[in-house]
Amino acid sequence: MKVLRRLRQDWVLYAMLSLPLLYFFIFHIIPLYGMKLAFQDYRILGDHVWVGWKHFKTLFSSPAFTSVLQNTIIISLMKIIFVFPIPIMLSLLINEVRSSKYRKYVQSVVYLPHFLSWVVIAGIWISLLNPADGGVNLIANFFQLPSIDYMTSKEHIRWVLVFSEIWRSAGWDSIIYLAAIMKISPGLYEAAKIDGATRLQQMRFITLPHLYSTVVTVFILNLGFFMNAGFDQVFNFMNDSVISVVDILDTYVYRIGIGNGQFAYATAASLFKGVIGIVLILGTHFISKRFSGKGVW
Amino acid sequence: MKKLSLLLIVAMLAMVMSACTSNSNSPGAGQTEPGTTQPDGSGDPVTLKIVYKDEGTANPVSVKFFETLEKSLAEDEGLNVKFELVDLAQGSYAENLNLLLLGGTIPDIIYFQGGDQQIADQGLLEDLTPYIEKSTYIKEIMEPHNQTRMASYPYLLWIKPLAPKAPVVRADWFNAMESSKALMENPTVDNYYAFFKELVEKKPGEGKPSYALTAAGDIAEINFIFNTAFGLDTTWLKKDDGTYEYSKVSQNEKEKLTFYNKLYKEGLLDPQFITKQWDTKEDAFYKGEAAVITGTAGKIIDLYDGRMQELGGDDASLIVLPPAKGEAQGFGATDVTKEARGLAISSQSPHKDVAFKVFDYLASPKGQMLDRLGFEDEHYKVVDGEIELNEKYYSEWYARFWEPTEIQSETPLKTPLLGEPGTESLKMASDYYTEDNNFIIPEQFIANWDAMNNLYKEYSTDFITGKKDLSQFDQFVEAWNAAGGAEITKYANENIK
Repeated sequence: MKVLRRLRQDWVLYAMLSLPLLYFFIFHIIPLYGMKLAFQDYRILGDHVWVGWKHFKTLFSSPAFTSVLQNTIIISLMKIIFVFPIPIMLSLLINEVRSSKYRKYVQSVVYLPHFLSWVVIAGIWISLLNPADGGVNLIANFFQLPSIDYMTSKEHIRWVLVFSEIWRSAGWDSIIYLAAIMKISPGLYEAAKIDGATRLQQMRFITLPHLYSTVVTVFILNLGFFMNAGFDQVFNFMNDSVISVVDILDTYVYRIGIGNGQFAYATAASLFKGVIGIVLILGTHFISKRFSGKGVW
Repeated sequence: MKKLSLLLIVAMLAMVMSACTSNSNSPGAGQTEPGTTQPDGSGDPVTLKIVYKDEGTANPVSVKFFETLEKSLAEDEGLNVKFELVDLAQGSYAENLNLLLLGGTIPDIIYFQGGDQQIADQGLLEDLTPYIEKSTYIKEIMEPHNQTRMASYPYLLWIKPLAPKAPVVRADWFNAMESSKALMENPTVDNYYAFFKELVEKKPGEGKPSYALTAAGDIAEINFIFNTAFGLDTTWLKKDDGTYEYSKVSQNEKEKLTFYNKLYKEGLLDPQFITKQWDTKEDAFYKGEAAVITGTAGKIIDLYDGRMQELGGDDASLIVLPPAKGEAQGFGATDVTKEARGLAISSQSPHKDVAFKVFDYLASPKGQMLDRLGFEDEHYKVVDGEIELNEKYYSEWYARFWEPTEIQSETPLKTPLLGEPGTESLKMASDYYTEDNNFIIPEQFIANWDAMNNLYKEYSTDFITGKKDLSQFDQFVEAWNAAGGAEITKYANENIK
């Protein structure tokens, strides 16, 4: 009865929630049924052939698997370490901008790259990093530094992925933190001001602690996508010179699974990725819950 | 919250458990033996579902083409056929087609652009050999490479001229070079080098070109010019002791990469070719940054020619350069294991015979008129008993089905189907035709083959750009063998006859 009363009372909110729930059900829950393909040889007609761990064995014994897994972990770790904090910092900085006109302008500019596809972004970055006449190398040359072919350099390409990811997503990802900051009671800042707190102290002792639970939640949820090192991005930035350092699980699965029609094999690799994602989410959730009392739920 | 979490976990577990139970798809309905359908003009029409890249119901030209084809089949052959175009989602055709087929929707006629082998392995594609043997026109228009490919893989049919990539250069720049004559008369690797060097030094286009040659992302396109000259004329090279070795780990390959490295070091090869895509490659050519690019023989080279003349005037028309001459000459051996793309008939179709009759009709003089020339008064006019193709034909029309080298038209053509460079490139492709000795990579080697290819791509690029010294070539060969090369070489030696 209590549930019904709450449903009737907040029906607008529940109606709004129903669409995302439907989306997750259709695109994330129903496809779980297809996981079985990882253990079968798929037949369009007739019975699928149950092959157990065959595709997993092939995957783990493939000579490329170790390097592909290693690349996936390294690129994902780099993104978690270097990309994840940027939207938090950006939201703090945007929050400190006092002119609302300027703040809106900054927000619009930093949100924009999010709406560009990786194909376009790759084109922009390839031009920008061109060793002959790309902006980055022209600036380096101005300071008497040599040109670097970042796109074909095994030492630099992963950093190109990190920085292009920051460029594309930092602005958009900062929205959630900005929303959390907006929820903080202005009274807290006023009280701090009366007590003589500087802007930096207000940020450190009021804003950041209030952001903590949002940061933890976003971090744990992001870990679920840890093994998705960014297919679209890597696919568009990869070239023959740097395959060995940027070929990730997703690009490998795309080539072998989709390109060569080995769908069961591709499903096995995706399932492997999914299992790692779940382990990371649950592991981080319980660790965080134990030490800070905060988690995803 | 706990209850909700529990509920969700139980629901997910239920899904997983049900996912792990055995399942079967019911076989396709309506399988009939060849020859049992009645493709006559009476009664209800036979509906043929066809899935084809870019030919959906949203494309008015496609719709008109298939409607016209329906009428022509009825008038000329008494076939009462209705085509139903299957629309695919936007995106990669091969991927979307695979999803369609794996979802159990199997049209009668399927155009493949890769990914067909797995479908054929499941017995879903019809062996076309008996149909071709009984055909009236198809067997007459098949090119030698089609015949060899069909003998080895009888599921895909794609009667098109050989279309390797041929090098092209602007005529005004070509004529301004002193080394041009020597190159045309004797296109050795040295004469190519001299021509490239002169182009970059003299810069015939007011400070352009910046470099002589560019390519889209890798050396595959450049290989069309030089591979055969370096003795890389087949995928598997026969050594003096009678055994085979993979061409990419041979000494010939090392020599070729040494030459490419020289071109790169001297600025004759685009320093950014690795990050170029097909569009940026063409852009560099049209803007004059690159003097020479390769284009697919035939219509594509004609399109390059048209665009270049639009930008640079009549003098900028294109000249097709011959393949380099050395140990041999050619654009490389043609893969005859199977068609890389083409049309197939579903083995589950109840109308296989009718589908093939459509194929055969399109190979007939009347079918060819429609497929290759387009619609009368729209793409061509018949003037004084001769066919005059118009601008719309050249800019819009392409044959959806067969394109034998010679067109059997009932009415003579006044204007040629292709422009001068397009025709010349096809002639060269035909003149230098040789068959490759490669084979379809068996399923058990596919994952290793991918790793080996990536190894080659990375090493070869590093050798060319100088990041690795060519003295390390043996190190690459060792790594390639360790990645599965030794195993596949053994397989090759056991299977190549």
